[in-house]
Amino acid sequence: MKNWFRRRDRAAEIHEEIESHLAMRAEFNRQSGTPADAARTTARRQFGNAALIEEDVRRVRGFPWLESLGQDAGYAFRGFVRAPVFTATAVLTTALGIGASTAVFSLVDRILFRPLPYPEADRLVSIGIIAPSVDKNEFVFADTYVRMRTQQTPFSHITTFGFISDCDLSEQNAVRMQCAMVESTFLPTFGVQPVVGRNFTHAEDQPNAAKVALLSYPFWKSRFGGDPAVVGRSISVDGQPTSVIGVLPHDFEMFNITPFDLLIPEAINEAHPGNGRLFRAFARLRPGVSLEQARAAMQAQFEQERGSAPPQFRKELHLVIRPLRDRQIGNMRIASWALFSAVLVVLLIAAANVANLMLARSASRRREWAIRAAIGAGRWRLARQVLTESLLLASMGAAAGWGLAWLMLRFFVAVAPSGILRLDQASLDGRVLLFAVALALVSGVLFGLAPAFDTPGAGGMAAGRTVVSTRGLLRHVLIAAQIAASLVLLASAGLLLRSLWNLEKVPLGMDTQQTIAAQFVTGKGANELAFFERLESRLGELPGHPTFALSDTIPPYGGSRSRPFFVLDVEGRPPYPEGSGGMVGWRYITPGYFAAMGIPMVRGRAFTEEERDAKEMPIVLSRELARRLFPGGDALGRHMLNTGGIWHTVVGIAGDVINNGLDHQPEPEYYELRKHFADATYDNRAPAGGWRGGTAIVRSQLSPQAMAKTLRSLIADLDPSVPVMVQTLAERAGHLTVTPRFDTLLLGGFAAIGLLLAAIGIYGVIAFLVGQRTREVGVRMALGATPRAITRMFLRHAAGWTLAGIVAGLAGSLAVTRVLGSMLFNVDAHDPWSLAAAPTVLLAVALAAAWLPARRAARIDPVRTLRAE
Amino acid sequence: MADSLQGTLDLLILKTLQLGPNHGFGITLHIQTASQGLLQVEEGSLYPALHRLERDKLVKAEWKTTDNRRRARVYALTAAGRKRLGEAEESWSALAKGVGRLLRYV
Repeated sequence: MKNWFRRRDRAAEIHEEIESHLAMRAEFNRQSGTPADAARTTARRQFGNAALIEEDVRRVRGFPWLESLGQDAGYAFRGFVRAPVFTATAVLTTALGIGASTAVFSLVDRILFRPLPYPEADRLVSIGIIAPSVDKNEFVFADTYVRMRTQQTPFSHITTFGFISDCDLSEQNAVRMQCAMVESTFLPTFGVQPVVGRNFTHAEDQPNAAKVALLSYPFWKSRFGGDPAVVGRSISVDGQPTSVIGVLPHDFEMFNITPFDLLIPEAINEAHPGNGRLFRAFARLRPGVSLEQARAAMQAQFEQERGSAPPQFRKELHLVIRPLRDRQIGNMRIASWALFSAVLVVLLIAAANVANLMLARSASRRREWAIRAAIGAGRWRLARQVLTESLLLASMGAAAGWGLAWLMLRFFVAVAPSGILRLDQASLDGRVLLFAVALALVSGVLFGLAPAFDTPGAGGMAAGRTVVSTRGLLRHVLIAAQIAASLVLLASAGLLLRSLWNLEKVPLGMDTQQTIAAQFVTGKGANELAFFERLESRLGELPGHPTFALSDTIPPYGGSRSRPFFVLDVEGRPPYPEGSGGMVGWRYITPGYFAAMGIPMVRGRAFTEEERDAKEMPIVLSRELARRLFPGGDALGRHMLNTGGIWHTVVGIAGDVINNGLDHQPEPEYYELRKHFADATYDNRAPAGGWRGGTAIVRSQLSPQAMAKTLRSLIADLDPSVPVMVQTLAERAGHLTVTPRFDTLLLGGFAAIGLLLAAIGIYGVIAFLVGQRTREVGVRMALGATPRAITRMFLRHAAGWTLAGIVAGLAGSLAVTRVLGSMLFNVDAHDPWSLAAAPTVLLAVALAAAWLPARRAARIDPVRTLRAE
Repeated sequence: MADSLQGTLDLLILKTLQLGPNHGFGITLHIQTASQGLLQVEEGSLYPALHRLERDKLVKAEWKTTDNRRRARVYALTAAGRKRLGEAEESWSALAKGVGRLLRYV
């Protein structure tokens, strides 16, 4: 180290020593008769390259690489300052590429790549039946499952999950909890051990067994202060004494990442499982058994089971066995991959840009390098200079990129729709950053280094006068590749944008303006009928007497009660065959519903107040259901759907309302009238669980904030323990497009970054060409070329390579956009508009980027240029 | 063998210094005159070699004022240098003898 500190002294000493040598040689020469001044010159000539020798000597001593690294860095920085545009462009390009890729990878990594938090999670599968009109995820019926459990062979473990529902800790400081019902085999299947206490046994998982529960770790901490002695204690859950037998590990998460507080036995009634109860089933593949083998093994058993499924489903069922991760990420899979690919493309464009910048810079520095080589810089020294510069640029880019990535991730988290898996866990990923930096570095070094190896020694000086680029082709191929890549991005973004546009235009079938909905769930054991009646009379007392209604559910999503189509028999017609027609949704509403929701009556009328005290049962059909039940259009006044011996009379037909997502035709629905008393419809509550949940709908001219406050306090007045969620109908409908909007925003953002980078690339190359061909332009102008012709010459050049890139990009787009197909709505993956718009935009941007430097070429003064040579 | 050839310049330097301390220019002159002009040492090799020898503690250097009152960095043999010179001389004469025999063998 001492050596290092003394290195300046050492260098001075070496210099002095060599000067002294030269002086002695000069004196020697003079003594041998050479004139004094000639003696000095001769001494220098005899000595050779003094500076190079000094450097060689210095290299013997101390830390030459460190010393010259400092020199290189200093030199590089001076170079950066001299070429601020180049430096800013290179750093910005690198930062954009690194920032975007790091942020996005950090986002999708959790979703796509990180292992699930279960041992040997790749052997965990979700297994079940898919019935399109019931649920998007596979499920099993209790009886099917009980048979499957005993007969199956491909799995070492199999288990069920019986959903999460509200439950109340009904003791001092009562609290609403989330209870997850699972089978006793659930934890063993997932390979999870309680940290305190034990799992429940098969015997405890029976319908009439004494109640037991495991606590989630967060609930154990928050409610019981993490006291291990809580195990063995009895708590009151929904009024029933339940003993706590264990605590789950802190990192345990439910397969669907839903938070919960208590894990309780689901208690399948194995003796009489045929009650239509649904479960999610999960299994662990035996070692050596593949997914395909498991599917084949279960298919035969499934075919037998098809017959025992409730008839209304039978025809639409199929078996699903898929990895747990697929089940978990569901429809986010394609979006995640699309995002990931988009950002890789951006990264490649950025890398190509850096490469091009370095190429251009090094080509324009050949003269400088020739001089440096001539005065004694070794070839490796020049190569090291490039390396140092690339390193410095990459580190500056990486630092800026890291900041950018942090900002972008913040932004993603802020704008992301809820329900994106593990978004809260996303943090900047160091590995990706390293990868991105390495890529930027490699492309910088590779392309910056190329000229270092053909730097001609002193002979380069001659060539240095009028540099003729030899790497023009590579530069242009890089540009064309950038254009192609950004075309793919633009085309994809265009498709998503069109799709989003189409989605936003889908008529909802209702008027969402000025309507506000308060969703609530009454406590277990409350008198639901009385609560609704009291709520209704309070709504009727609202100032200004706005239109209001109560319903169990509301569109456009969130589901509704449903019945099999075939039970909707029409008086005087033979009943439908069992199992035909799928399911039909229905809502339980008060007369103000259609007015409050802004749903038009197509024919007939809405319910009236008078009908609510009468025994007769009116019914309103959706247009779609009326079309299916009464193709002749004679629905009004007809009798149908016999409930408790009373036929419903069709009094009206309401417009169809979106109820199955924007990308599907509305499913058929019907409406029944909520009476002031518990009629047969009320008693025929389905599914079990009663009428606890409801929605109060108010259409009012008041501001939504004021109305939301009023509704909250109104419900809290009736029962402060009832949770309420207030939303305007417009907000609620807006949620339908949140995910596509997010996808479009991200992909559009990357397309914009890609476009920007490509524009920078074209600008750079044309600007470089203009600089290189200044003399040629001068000659042309001296010979009579007009400025316009000069501009056109460069633009034609840019257009040529852009078009080449566009042709390649179109081919790529056709291949890539097909993958996007399932993310698109009412847009063909080969939508001609998007595929035409993207190249047009790209060409316009490319020409604009080329025009700036081309115009500069047109301003070249031929006299000055020629004189400069 | 390759070592001995490469070490030739070191040998010449050490042998020159055996006569007494000398500076770089003096060493060049001595080698040139002693070899009667047959050997020319390039400064580009001499100074790195001198500093390498100094780094390896085979010679030591100090600034002195020469006879004609010029400051010069003067090198002198160390004990290790003297020992190395002995070894180098031996291996050189062995090499020379071997090469001589080979050339005579026809």
